[in-house]
Amino acid sequence: MVIPISVHHVTIVGSVLSILDVLIVRLRCLVLAASVPFRMQIGIRKGILWIAPFLFLIFCSFYAYASNLAMDCTECHNNDQFTAGFQKSVHGDNGCTSCHKPFQSIDRHISKQEKPFLISCGNCHSEIANEYKKNFHYLYEDFKCQNCHYEIHSLKKQQKNSKIPVIKGCTKCHTNEEYVSSGHSAAVLKGNNDSAVCSDCHGLHDTKVYHTSLEANTAEAREFYSRKCISCHSNKELMKKNNLSHKTIEYYEETYHGKVQDLGYPTRVAGCADCHTAHNILPPDRPDSTINPKNLVKNCGKCHSNFHPRFAEYKAHPDYRNKNRYPALYRSFVFMSFLLLITFSFFWLHTLLWWRKVYWEKYRFEKLGIIIESPLPHEEAVQEIKRFSGKERIMHVLLIISFFGLVITGFPLKYHSTPWAKALISVMGGAHNAGLYHRAAAIILIGLFLYTCWLSLRFIFSKGKGRAGIRGWMDRLFGPDSLMPNKNDWPQFKGMVRWFFGKGDMPQFGRWTYWEKFDFLAVFWGMFIIGGSGITLWAPEAASYIYPGWVFNIASIVHSEEALLATLFIFTVHFFNTHLIPTKFPMDPIIFTGRQKLEELKRYRNLEYERILSEKRLDELKIKHPGIALKIIASMFGLASLWIGIIFTLILLWTFFFA
Amino acid sequence: MFFKHSKFCITSILLLFSLIVLPAKADTPRYINAGETLTLIKKNKALTVDTMSYIECMDHRIPGSICLALEEFDKSAPSLLKDKKRTTVFYCESKNCQRAGEVYKKALAMGYENIYILKGGLPEWKNAGYEIETIKRIKRMPVVSIKINQLEKIKAEKKNILILDVRTEAMFKEGHIEGAMNIPMYMLHKSFHAIPKNRPVLVVDESGKRSFIACSFLINNGFRDVQRLFGGMAFKENKTK
Repeated sequence: MVIPISVHHVTIVGSVLSILDVLIVRLRCLVLAASVPFRMQIGIRKGILWIAPFLFLIFCSFYAYASNLAMDCTECHNNDQFTAGFQKSVHGDNGCTSCHKPFQSIDRHISKQEKPFLISCGNCHSEIANEYKKNFHYLYEDFKCQNCHYEIHSLKKQQKNSKIPVIKGCTKCHTNEEYVSSGHSAAVLKGNNDSAVCSDCHGLHDTKVYHTSLEANTAEAREFYSRKCISCHSNKELMKKNNLSHKTIEYYEETYHGKVQDLGYPTRVAGCADCHTAHNILPPDRPDSTINPKNLVKNCGKCHSNFHPRFAEYKAHPDYRNKNRYPALYRSFVFMSFLLLITFSFFWLHTLLWWRKVYWEKYRFEKLGIIIESPLPHEEAVQEIKRFSGKERIMHVLLIISFFGLVITGFPLKYHSTPWAKALISVMGGAHNAGLYHRAAAIILIGLFLYTCWLSLRFIFSKGKGRAGIRGWMDRLFGPDSLMPNKNDWPQFKGMVRWFFGKGDMPQFGRWTYWEKFDFLAVFWGMFIIGGSGITLWAPEAASYIYPGWVFNIASIVHSEEALLATLFIFTVHFFNTHLIPTKFPMDPIIFTGRQKLEELKRYRNLEYERILSEKRLDELKIKHPGIALKIIASMFGLASLWIGIIFTLILLWTFFFA
Repeated sequence: MFFKHSKFCITSILLLFSLIVLPAKADTPRYINAGETLTLIKKNKALTVDTMSYIECMDHRIPGSICLALEEFDKSAPSLLKDKKRTTVFYCESKNCQRAGEVYKKALAMGYENIYILKGGLPEWKNAGYEIETIKRIKRMPVVSIKINQLEKIKAEKKNILILDVRTEAMFKEGHIEGAMNIPMYMLHKSFHAIPKNRPVLVVDESGKRSFIACSFLINNGFRDVQRLFGGMAFKENKTK
């Protein structure tokens, strides 16, 4: 450190020479101040002209001596701010030349020709100077230190933990009412140092400003400032001390706005300041607060348009676990959780038992060398029988495509904070694009759903020739061709359970087993839930004409949880029951080829086999063995889908347990 | 997105073709960064030209720059920039370098050859950590900025307020706040005497970045009640849209 030494130096030498100094400098000040009239006097009194060179010599020697001295600037600059005021200031121990370059000639200085240039404050405050290089005020307005630290000579040491000087400093220029009326600075002025002042969001010496006023840098600004809010508002101790919830950020990140923001795409979603404003952050009970219920419609209207006023009843960061504040949301959450719990505990157990049984049987047969004989003569056994029509096969392919599309584009939003979500979204080109693909896939699925509704209605209410014993729509609905559960399913289920435990043979099934009926009906019921909530979230403004904004909160929970239910169900239960079960492993291509061997029909769906025989439809259902091309395409598509599903399930499991 | 990409691909292919087909002389301005500018200054003795106003240029500029405002280029370029072959770098004080870009076009038309634009202007130069030079510093003063929605209130409070528009004549002609007086930034140091000192002044600029120094200049020159419009005319237009 250069300055302390020089200060030391000045004080010692200064004390020795101070008396002489004071004399000389005083004289010089006097002489210079009086120099003009003095010369005039000489001019008038020519008699004493001879003294001039003599006097001049004396003055010159004084000047020469004085210029080489460490002199006291306060002899001339004797204003309080340079004398007593300066000594009391934070730099009081420093000499003038710590900050001002010494000049060459005091004459030139006094006649204002030579100014003592400022030495960079960064010589001592190097860290701050470094930060300051990125300061907005420096880059665009060329501010220097003293432009904010106005009274640099009487600068007091800052009181520890006091943020008030920052407010005072900034508001010298930025005195717009809104800056000061902001809830945060008002709290600081009242003595709460936990609250934020200008520098807490904009930086102190590295002041950053994103001029959102011109709607440029919206993304950067939202990201930057939201992060500032988050840094304090997720601090548990700080929030507890101030009677606020530190989980608000968490709740915000459970909403659509928060999820997209967290994924890294803040351009099109609301950040903190979009609703709370930047400088007028007030609690909702204040009438001038933007989040006051009376101002909410206008507030939402900054981004959304064409909505019913009840749109604003949407909760921006609700705690859906809070029974008292958000009862409807809480109940939806509990309901969805139970739905998931019950569905999975039932079906995973069912699948597990089934697997155990099949494996155990296979193992026993292998051990004993038993080869199961075909129940039919060879020629009959290999005959292919049609199970699905071309239309149905295409529908299933479309269903797979749309379902996978929805899963891949939707789940990154659900698990927004995981690395895989961010990677997937960036592959798709951002959250906005993912949203577009999600909607495209949704349109396919909705189309399939509507078409299935139409087919179902036509099936139930068809007027054509009925098969034996079928009369009226009730008979059709609960008949053997229907996917609606009927009186046979319960005994079949009981039989299955008995078979799992080795207490009987595998029950005989008709055209549709009870788990297949569940697969169909679950998707069917799920479509109302997931489709309805999805459309709501797609066009919330239009939806607000039908129901209030808080329904969107429910819709987003329901949509998200139902998606998890559907995805896990398909990727675990459906996949394992239909494809990965040892009797079908690695996959059952029946949905793509549409046909099965007669032997298979007889073995696994004997009731259907008998019915076909009794109705004498066997000949019309006979079909050729699938071609090689169809087989290859079917297994490629099917296996690819299976793999994607299994990998995705593993990713989800990893997310549940490790992320 | 896909569409955007394909557009981008097509344009880049077309650009590549145009590079091959067209003669090498490119019409797009040659942008250089701060480091390249410094190398040009050192190696080619390049001249740097500040295209902002006299006040701003004298207050802070790249060391050794010539002050030549965009508005005065046609008039003063022949006398200030005599050597048409000398490497010259134009700069201004904003990210998109609009003023430097316009000067570049003019200079190109007048036959200057080795000309460049400092991309990002003076802020970029400072950002790179290079020195700047001050000839005549305008002492910075506390200047209150008011937002456009407060304008009516201010007008009512201060009946004789003078709205001083410091944008170029052309911009002023295109549209301005009713009753505003126009003294472009490049004229302010000469023409500020025309502003009555006893009236409160509200300074309006393009985007809010230049009015501050103009206000400081006025306060230093004896004006007492000087304020500026937050965000300039750009903010006003954005708000009224």
